[in-house]
Amino acid sequence: MNSIRRALALGLAAATLAFGAQAQNRELTVASSATYAPFAFENKDKQIVGFDIDIINAIAKQQGLKIKVVNTPFTGIFGALNNGDVDLVISGVTINEKRKQSYDFTPPYFAARQLIALPKSSTVASLKDLAGKKIAVVSASTADDIASREFGKTSPNIRRFESTPLIISELAGGGVDAAMGDNGVIAYRVAQNPELKTIDDKSFPEEGFGIVVKKGDKALLDKLTAGLDAVRADGSYAAIYKKWFNKDPNAR
Amino acid sequence: MEQPILLFGWFRWDILVEYKDLFWQGAWMTLRMTVVCVLLGSSWGLCLALARLAQPRHAPWTWVARFFLRWPATVYVSFFRGTPLFVQILLIHFAVMPVFIHPSSGLLISGDLARELKQEHGALISGVVALTLNSAAYISEVFRAGIQSISRGQFDAGRSIGFTPAQVMRYVVLPQAFRRMLPPLGNNAIALLKDTSLVSAIGLAELAYAARTVAGAYARYWEPYLAISVVYWVMTLVLTTMLRRLEHRLARSDRG
Repeated sequence: MNSIRRALALGLAAATLAFGAQAQNRELTVASSATYAPFAFENKDKQIVGFDIDIINAIAKQQGLKIKVVNTPFTGIFGALNNGDVDLVISGVTINEKRKQSYDFTPPYFAARQLIALPKSSTVASLKDLAGKKIAVVSASTADDIASREFGKTSPNIRRFESTPLIISELAGGGVDAAMGDNGVIAYRVAQNPELKTIDDKSFPEEGFGIVVKKGDKALLDKLTAGLDAVRADGSYAAIYKKWFNKDPNAR
Repeated sequence: MEQPILLFGWFRWDILVEYKDLFWQGAWMTLRMTVVCVLLGSSWGLCLALARLAQPRHAPWTWVARFFLRWPATVYVSFFRGTPLFVQILLIHFAVMPVFIHPSSGLLISGDLARELKQEHGALISGVVALTLNSAAYISEVFRAGIQSISRGQFDAGRSIGFTPAQVMRYVVLPQAFRRMLPPLGNNAIALLKDTSLVSAIGLAELAYAARTVAGAYARYWEPYLAISVVYWVMTLVLTTMLRRLEHRLARSDRG
């Protein structure tokens, strides 16, 4: 009995030491929602890959940070950051005023806009035309915010789902008139589905995706920002962009 | 998170108030779905149980019963009990339903009616179908056990006074079996009430959907999830009380 207790105490002491040493350069946990091709998704080997993942890896390498990416549903991603389960989020998160009040963002690493997906036969030409129609959005996404603001937070016409593939499936199945989301993913999914088209409402503001840290985590934010600048300067950003979007970052 | 945990200062009532429409609609949807699925699931479950118990004495009916009633029913029950309800809901909504109801290519319903149905009630239909098919599998086992618990003598007695097998079932066996089945049926109803929360995955605006929406909008979890927990709890308490009353009444009629 005594020896067990001693072993336990020793183990505990060792763990404390190891943890203390690790705190210098501990592994940072990165949350990303891996249902967001081409930004973050799981490949057949269960690895999370995508534009976001390549960007954060390039930044980490540049800054000498150790990171581990964990797949986190988008709905719970800010909760995970609040709880301290993760240190940062890179998951196609649009920078906006509301979120800036609660979290800190790097400068944008991707220029994003909202895009509306519709059946080919639809006559809808703008966001305003969607009044009274059923719209699928991802819960807690920018599209959810816009639709909530435009048509009312508790409107029964807004249908919220967990991920982008589900809103596209719901649209393809005829359950909604339109799906709305970030341009990168919506364009990617619609390109795979010949029965759908997209419209680009010019009234949607130009937005950027930013990497998110806890409010006040200045040390980490500075490292990420410096890393982002560096990977832009050394050309690796352009290479990653070309890899996932098949065009130059400055091409529109 | 620096704020002290004081329920009334720290608890953000305002966001519940802001979304109260969604919560009320959600509670109403949950309630309606439970009632409809309990009724449909019990009816379909009884059919399944009778199919599994079918044992005619004379050829060729013995073969018909085995291949067209007992085996299909057994496979059905085993499938719906052996796969997760969540998977069944997604399968039915995103794979099965579009085959039958689709604006451009529905086998059963297509065109404007399909569009109307899918847009207004798509998630509700899929949800009700999935929950009914699933709960019927469990309920059929309750019925089967209840019916088999009535002694063979009761059946023979019924036959001996000139009842047909169907009449024996209707007037002798089922009324007695029902009293024994009531507690497990109540359990099923409570499970079903809670399982409706899974249907939020296909965008049905029930209670869990309301909580998820609020949690997503504010990244706050105490308020929405505690609120819906209380609502689910109240609903199950009401259900439990009603079932207890029914049990008492049936027990009384037995004595008197």
